Amino acid sequence: MMLATTSTVFQYFADSVYYGSFFALISLSLSLLFGVMGLMNFAYGELIMAGAYVMFYTRGWGWFAMICMTILIVTILSLLMELIAFRPLRRAEPVVLLITSFAISYGLEALGWMTVGSGIQKGVTPYPWLTTQFNVSGVLISNLEIVTWVVTVGLLVAMVFVIQRTALGIRLRASTEDFRMAQLVGVRANWVISAAFGITGVLASVVALLYTFRSGAIAPDIGQGPLLVAFVGGVIGGLGSLTGAAIGGFTLGVLLNVLQAVLPQSINNHFQLFAFAAVIAILVFQPDGLIAIRVGFARRWWERFRPDAPQGASA
Amino acid sequence: MSARLASIEPQARRVWPLFALASLMVVTWWLVDSYGGDVYQAYGIRMFLNLMLVLALQIFSGNSGVLSFAQATFVAIGAYFSALLTIPPATKTFQFLTMPHWLSSWIFPAHLSAFQGLLAGAGLAAAVAALFAAPVARLAGVQAGIATLAILVMGNVFLTQTTSITRGTSTIIGVPQTTTFVSLLVWALIFLAVAYVFKQSRFGLRLRASRENVRAARAVGVKVARERSIAWILSGFVAGATGALYGHWYVTFSPGDFYINTNGIDLVILPIAMLVIGGMRSVTGAVIGCYFVTIVYDFFNRWEVDGFNGTVGAAPSGTANLVLAAVFVVVLILFPFGLSGGRELPWPTDWHLPRMTLRRGRLAPLAGDAPAASTDPLGDRVAESPE
Repeated sequence: MMLATTSTVFQYFADSVYYGSFFALISLSLSLLFGVMGLMNFAYGELIMAGAYVMFYTRGWGWFAMICMTILIVTILSLLMELIAFRPLRRAEPVVLLITSFAISYGLEALGWMTVGSGIQKGVTPYPWLTTQFNVSGVLISNLEIVTWVVTVGLLVAMVFVIQRTALGIRLRASTEDFRMAQLVGVRANWVISAAFGITGVLASVVALLYTFRSGAIAPDIGQGPLLVAFVGGVIGGLGSLTGAAIGGFTLGVLLNVLQAVLPQSINNHFQLFAFAAVIAILVFQPDGLIAIRVGFARRWWERFRPDAPQGASA
Repeated sequence: MSARLASIEPQARRVWPLFALASLMVVTWWLVDSYGGDVYQAYGIRMFLNLMLVLALQIFSGNSGVLSFAQATFVAIGAYFSALLTIPPATKTFQFLTMPHWLSSWIFPAHLSAFQGLLAGAGLAAAVAALFAAPVARLAGVQAGIATLAILVMGNVFLTQTTSITRGTSTIIGVPQTTTFVSLLVWALIFLAVAYVFKQSRFGLRLRASRENVRAARAVGVKVARERSIAWILSGFVAGATGALYGHWYVTFSPGDFYINTNGIDLVILPIAMLVIGGMRSVTGAVIGCYFVTIVYDFFNRWEVDGFNGTVGAAPSGTANLVLAAVFVVVLILFPFGLSGGRELPWPTDWHLPRMTLRRGRLAPLAGDAPAASTDPLGDRVAESPE
């Protein structure tokens, strides 16, 4: 039986924050595309997969070249995805985009199994520097955890800066608010959406880097697990808002890690069951998420009592 | 045309698609059964199982315009529950050692026939569908997609983690093999008729009206949530029955068979692809999509497995799935209403090809407002409907 000394509590705290930051990054990137074009991008997991394989094939090039190549290739893949599949479907309903993203995810994963995923199990050995652990008065913290916190916070700050302070951010926010109106006042749709996909690609490559450095092993379906968790977190937080989604992803990551330690195994196994039941409940009662409760709060609750609230209200 | 013939034409037109599609299926069965050999019979059986699942999807998604990923869960429920009730009691007792007493007390002695097992499995699937009917019926668009995906994940978590009832990730064994090619044909024909009659019934009509325009449908008194729930539960029943037949054909199965599976054959994306590619608004679309995807998929699958008995080099494993994904995306872009254009099979004298659109600014195939000019999906059925 584990003793809940102060240092173990802090240990869990440190690990949980690490997990939370990791999922916050994914939720954040999901919410970006969801906000701009109503796309729930399930092909995101395959961007992570692609990133991991780029790392595998460039592992001998030194860390700097490897990181650059990963970011470059994943971003290009993300942009290609938009160009080939989502651009022709620009005017389609969000649910058609959802099916499309599933089809792309399915195809890319099949491609992964066909090419890089076949044969022996591949993996990237983490750099010794990353796994070095510090002992801060009984709490073990690895460089990788510190890097993850710093990168997540840095990217969140950068995203907030881009969204709030730059011309691109204004265009993105305007497109999130009302895509057609934004076009009418001169926002170029192709440009804004490409930019959103580009940012998603960069975020996905960072996620791939952090994930692969931690787990080491790679397979064509590695993206699915974290994607599902982050997606639940995003829905709980509110995919319509960047901060809401990030906080949702963070909270769920922390919660999962804490429950892993606290709850007995039998309940833990079924935890996902409750998490997804919560997703359904939130979609029905609070589709904007629990955290991103904004101006439409009162209206939303009023609509709740009307059967069949207007479809796509929060999309 | 004589007056007598002209007078029965409206009735004939009404049952024509059903008759034609049923004939197609019977002919398919006859050809495969007589000339197919074991390999193609296995493909034919899988196609009929997929067809039933696609029809289940069509009943809900096609008529309501609400996408669902959850039907594979109902298939799993049907397969597992029917298996639990039909495995010989002696085999059951050592397979499910840890099953809680409140279940084992009635599951262990149960030894139902295949038909009873099918009804029980389908019934439980419908009951579970009823449990989720309220939230699903209230959602539309991408939210409904996410909610049904959540149901799929929940089903998978339940199956893999509740080892005492489902044996977790281990396979279920000892299921009697009672499904035959003929029984699949009969059930597929029954479900074809169910889907077609439901679509033409007052329930189907009201649901289709809500698909075209939710607000307008509500304004004329359609209780959208109620209509969606009815279709959802019926769809759950058909999917559950499919699951029971699936279980009694493949005999061994595990939770992974009822989940998204890109490294093999899956029951989640493939049926949705079939339905959307064929055109989800019509039963004809469901059947055409199933045939089209089966032919394309199994062509590449044969290539993948043994290069057509070694005539050419085998394609790498996964080719079929990759091709399927590519076909899917291309059809979504070029034929937003699917290959059938969302229409039923036209009367023999009314043939014309589906319109291919590359034009920007067309409307989307799923839940939303009525397409402007391309099709009128309710068509002339409105006038002759029972209401």
